[in-house]
Amino acid sequence: MDISVSKDFAVNSKSLKDVRDFAREIFDQSPVFSQQKDELVLAIAEAAQNIVKHAYKDISDTKDVMQIKISFKDNELKIGFYDKGKPANPENIKHRKLDDVKPGGLGTFFIKQIMDEVVFKEAAGWRNHLVLTKNFNHQQ
Amino acid sequence: MSYNVKEEGNIATVYLDGEIDMDVTEKAKEVILPLVEAKKEVHLNLKDVQYMDSSGISVLIESHQKAMEVGTTVKLKEISKSVLKVIMMAKLEQVLNLD
Repeated sequence: MDISVSKDFAVNSKSLKDVRDFAREIFDQSPVFSQQKDELVLAIAEAAQNIVKHAYKDISDTKDVMQIKISFKDNELKIGFYDKGKPANPENIKHRKLDDVKPGGLGTFFIKQIMDEVVFKEAAGWRNHLVLTKNFNHQQ
Repeated sequence: MSYNVKEEGNIATVYLDGEIDMDVTEKAKEVILPLVEAKKEVHLNLKDVQYMDSSGISVLIESHQKAMEVGTTVKLKEISKSVLKVIMMAKLEQVLNLD
């Protein structure tokens, strides 16, 4: 079953519930995702949260949208995030050390734990384009 | 997220309900931290929390650390499966007080 769906969301914390509902609806479409649905929803919500929290830090009431595109083909899940916020520097996007217990810094860790690949790419018309990939071949 | 607080002696039990994300962390902290600062033993009942992300985990860590600072404890009670999964992913099961 191939999937290719995209949706725009307002860039604010209230949208995160909508992001999760969008992801859950898609992952409910195929049993391939059933074992890891909660983790995949978490990864998507964390990446969307990073846009709100970091790319739009100190920017409130923006009319910008963030776009999330979920595609699944040949057993590969790709989740694209597009935004026009402050440029992300992949070098600076690191999670905290787990034994340094303090609030914050876990979102990126969760994303990297759940997904196989986390990369920033170029996308015309957008400032940041994050792509999360997970391969389901070994899970068949 | 909604909540309900029951106090009995020095134990305050906070029943949290719903999804805990960045949008509700301030609300959660406003409920939990004053109880901790009042040196109550705080029990967070998480049986009806269906979703928690890194922001929610931060609230648990902050509450736990504040409790240690003032000399009390925060215990996590009846943790739902989905929340436990996230706590374990963050390798916090040995750090937070899980009941």
